[in-house]
Amino acid sequence: MFLDVQNLSVKLGQFHLHDVNLSLEKNDYMVIIGPTGSGKSVLLETIAGFFTPDKGEVIMEGKKITNQSPENRGISIVYQDYVLFPHMNVFENIAYGLRKKIQKDSFISSKVEKMAKMLQIDHLLSRNPETLSGGEKQRVAIARSLVVEPNILLMDEPFAALDVNTHAYLTTLIKNVINKHQTTCIHVSHNFNDVYNLAEKVAVMKDGKILQQGTLHDVFSRPTHNFVADFVGVHNVFQGEIVGHDKSLLQIEIDPGIIIHSSDDFQHDSNDVMVAIRPENIIFSNEKFVSSVRNQLKGVVKDIFEVGHTVWIEVQVGDVTFRGVLTPNSCESLGIKREKEIYLSFKSLNVNLMECRDAYHSI
Amino acid sequence: MRSKLEIIFISISFIFTAFLFIIIGTLFIMPSTEGFLSAIFSNELLASIKLTLSTSVLAAFCVILVAVPTAYSLSRYSFPLKSLIKSILDLPMAFPEIVLGIALLMILGDRFLGSWLESLGIDIVFTTTGIIIAQFFVALPYAVRILYSTFNYVNPRYEFVSRSLGYGEFETFRKITLPLAKGGIFASSVVTLARCIGTFAAVLLVGGGTYLKTETLPIAIYYNLSLGNIDTAITAAIILVLISFGAIFVMEKYAHENMEGVN
Repeated sequence: MFLDVQNLSVKLGQFHLHDVNLSLEKNDYMVIIGPTGSGKSVLLETIAGFFTPDKGEVIMEGKKITNQSPENRGISIVYQDYVLFPHMNVFENIAYGLRKKIQKDSFISSKVEKMAKMLQIDHLLSRNPETLSGGEKQRVAIARSLVVEPNILLMDEPFAALDVNTHAYLTTLIKNVINKHQTTCIHVSHNFNDVYNLAEKVAVMKDGKILQQGTLHDVFSRPTHNFVADFVGVHNVFQGEIVGHDKSLLQIEIDPGIIIHSSDDFQHDSNDVMVAIRPENIIFSNEKFVSSVRNQLKGVVKDIFEVGHTVWIEVQVGDVTFRGVLTPNSCESLGIKREKEIYLSFKSLNVNLMECRDAYHSI
Repeated sequence: MRSKLEIIFISISFIFTAFLFIIIGTLFIMPSTEGFLSAIFSNELLASIKLTLSTSVLAAFCVILVAVPTAYSLSRYSFPLKSLIKSILDLPMAFPEIVLGIALLMILGDRFLGSWLESLGIDIVFTTTGIIIAQFFVALPYAVRILYSTFNYVNPRYEFVSRSLGYGEFETFRKITLPLAKGGIFASSVVTLARCIGTFAAVLLVGGGTYLKTETLPIAIYYNLSLGNIDTAITAAIILVLISFGAIFVMEKYAHENMEGVN
């Protein structure tokens, strides 16, 4: 394991980071998501060494660095608000970290110019930071952090202050540069596009705890926690009870008479479970059809609303409301309207089961 | 078109600034040219100007040396009794200067440290050193207050980034924090200097106000006014006004420029 964070706990005023565990292999790109105030920034700053943990260890390449000072960790950090040194021009900002390690000016210049060219800011080197746009400032901040070839690059919402176009452009650019440099990254974000475009691993944080971490597919398709399911947009999360088995499938009753089949190899002590189904995994049809799909339910359309280029549909099945998403074309060709009877189908593979941890309210 | 509130508020600021300007300006028309020139070149005022400037510059320098680490630690670190230390440092700004003067006279006089210092051959009370000590303690709280705000204004993330790029705490303080705080340090230096120059009661009590020896400009005003030497008193006052005006002008001009883009 390249970076291993073990049971890390930090108390800062009223805020607590509780027993955080994180694991990253070399060159991994992890995106940490979670609501505001969940402790994402504090976690990054503790890994960087700015705060001393009350408990736990930070281990890099098998060596404990928990009590090592930040300057000796080889961990660079990039913030949302750029934090470019205003008393230095762009060149000096990028060269700042290099000057600590390298004495030779010509070598520093060549490294700065190479990095600036890669991030397409080589024409800005003599400018002062306050004259740059947000996107330019962020590229300078990233160049400054990457040029010292850190063991780990930490990015705290680096694109949050940028407009949509600059965000998209920078995401592609940064992805290429980081791939080229083979840098291990932890990136804190609120934006799911960052997760989809950049993440190899995802961690979800809430109230100072990591609720779930894993691959993109693990976290988004197989959430293990009610909050994670809600947060990553599963939308269909229901409380149910395991009522039987059908060969390898579990049968879960989510409402009297409504049985759902799941192929999840969920290990359970209790029969009470949470069921999670992503809206994009629900197929709508006007009639029941014969297929390999093990879950087909009949319901009534209660609401239809457009979100961007998609149409969201709420279908009432007994006392349970399912949410699905489809294209406007599909919606039109199926003639979907309020109070229409419709079938919804989903594979047992796409029914994810979780422990019942706390009172749950679907969003 | 200006709103009524805007007009009222601007008018208030104009009226009372004009009053203040007239009050200060009156000083400049009071002495005759002859009286002003003879006063400014008198041994007493020349000695006072020299003494005031030399002690104030030295005291202000010492104040900044102490205030920078004090204010930085109050701004950045958590430690026991921090709130109490902040309150104690603010205290001298809340009570009359003469109270601090009496306290200093007591501690530096015969009863406490005085006899011990005297045994070491160090005289403080009624000497130039006494003046510097009085100026130091009067001005220190103001400097700490300004520098505390300055360091609070400097985003600690600048320091975090510097540390993450390989620089230690002291190097980061020298290369990042101090340059970013230079506007505030400059402003507090100017205010400190002005405060040292203007210190009266504490300097009179600890320094003694001996003619041609420990008589600073504010003391010269007081003595000459008491003796009826109006021209000399007003001339000393004009010199103080000019020094203060120069200090504030310089501070306004440079302090703001240097703080831009820091937070």
